[in-house]
Amino acid sequence: MKPSNRTGIMGRIVARVLLALGYVFIWAPVIVLVLFSFSRNKFGLWWEGFTLQWYAELLTNAKVGQALQTSLIVAAVAVVVSTALGTLAAYGLYKYRFRGKKAVRIGLLLPIVMPPVVIGAALLAFFSKVIRIPLGYPSILIAHISFSVPLATFVILGRMARIDWSLEEASADLGADTLTTWRKIIVPLLLPGIIASAALIFPWSFDDVTVTFFVAGTGTMTLPLYIFSRIRAGPSPIINAIGMIFVALPTIGLVLWTMLQSRVSGKKR
Amino acid sequence: MKQFLGKQVHLPFVGPVTLWLIMFVGGPLVLIVYFSVLTPGPLGTILRTPTLENYLFLLRGAVGRVLLRTLLFASGTNMICLLIGYPLAYWIVKYGGRWKTTLLLLIVIPSWTAYLIRIYSIKSILGYNGFLNQALLSLGLISSPLELLYSVPAVMSGLVYTWLPFMVLPIYAALDGLDPSLLEAAEDLGASPLQRFSTVTLPLTKGGIIAGTILVFIPALGDWIVPLLLGGGKVLMAGSYVQMYFVGAANIPRGSSLATALTAVVLLMLYLGIKFGGEEALERII
Repeated sequence: MKPSNRTGIMGRIVARVLLALGYVFIWAPVIVLVLFSFSRNKFGLWWEGFTLQWYAELLTNAKVGQALQTSLIVAAVAVVVSTALGTLAAYGLYKYRFRGKKAVRIGLLLPIVMPPVVIGAALLAFFSKVIRIPLGYPSILIAHISFSVPLATFVILGRMARIDWSLEEASADLGADTLTTWRKIIVPLLLPGIIASAALIFPWSFDDVTVTFFVAGTGTMTLPLYIFSRIRAGPSPIINAIGMIFVALPTIGLVLWTMLQSRVSGKKR
Repeated sequence: MKQFLGKQVHLPFVGPVTLWLIMFVGGPLVLIVYFSVLTPGPLGTILRTPTLENYLFLLRGAVGRVLLRTLLFASGTNMICLLIGYPLAYWIVKYGGRWKTTLLLLIVIPSWTAYLIRIYSIKSILGYNGFLNQALLSLGLISSPLELLYSVPAVMSGLVYTWLPFMVLPIYAALDGLDPSLLEAAEDLGASPLQRFSTVTLPLTKGGIIAGTILVFIPALGDWIVPLLLGGGKVLMAGSYVQMYFVGAANIPRGSSLATALTAVVLLMLYLGIKFGGEEALERII
């Protein structure tokens, strides 16, 4: 859509100012937060001169390290298991017609669209009253895989519509067995989808607080649960410093990544 | 295609996920419906005496008011997000040029990666000793700090702030996929900008609006962290009570009736979304 000549210059300026205001609304609180992570103020609420002491405290805080490790393990396992299950499911949904297909698709939507508070509460009731799975790593992993599997399935399903399936037939015609065809043809073709699904699931799982809060029990703490407990205890610059990890790093990473991509696609032209 | 290989040939592929969903999503959701009609016993136990008391409780007094307020907050959040999000997505598509993707990511990334941190940033800015009060004090605009937190506006701004990106994303996708030749055709036929918008752009991006509504209304409906951190104990929402009954008070039947009511609203929303938006709206959710 190109701006038409009839749109007045004034209109375009107003539009851009409002657009900029939208970004200020979204980013100002986060920027203030990250800025004060470098301030000497004991509560991270105001500027009192530059310091890196909160980052030093963050690095030496054993609880943060432990929580970060737990979060990384949970997110990694969720990515691997749900990508594997999701790839299979996407293949089945893409290739075959069967009764109940629509039900499976709607069923896959449920864990994504249900409020996390309902999913968390239902899983807690299920774990504590029916199957008695220990609350901790097992329950957290099951919960995270439950909301990640649909994401993996839908992302990979989207990729399947775009690949050349005659390669699969060619592989079979040349005598490759099913496993070889999957290993050498299907998975490599699906790789962009698999990477996209991992890129979606990892932060989703890493950032989840509500579902984890319900099913974590008392012994296991992920990084968001640690942040949550710190926030409830009152303002602290440590939270600002952690905010840096959650806001600045992914943003810088993704912006660099898109700039790189646009350069690559620019070179192709 | 491969159907002649056998009737259940899809099972090894779709089977594991279906089983997982039945076991860990469908099962637990049915379970809370079942628990919602049982009687709470002492010390967090559940007695097998059927009752409708948990549902009558939802309609009475404090919880009933909170449930109504939750519906209002979620609809209000959705409306505000639509009013801010649609123009935002529109301008990104229209003026973004080659920065389009980057501009979109700048809206979406913080919401993917920093749910708690973003709510905390609002809390620390609006707080009694927060940035806003200190700034206003040092500028001499106020003489004593304002009570900005723990109020309805604080909770509402937190909800809008948290869920806005989920409105922008599907609307952006719908607008970006819009065929520009349709707009040119409308222009050639003499349609004014407003007419072009209301007869071409808006109807063709309906799927995006519906998907955005599902993605904003539903999580706002179940939010309990925004009311906890920005509403203090004063402005509670339904999610606050679900959390209280399941974790704090260990009264699972009562929490279940509330969670079931929320689920019913969600399913109704999904049904309406599919009915009016069709498959397109469903696909835009992802």
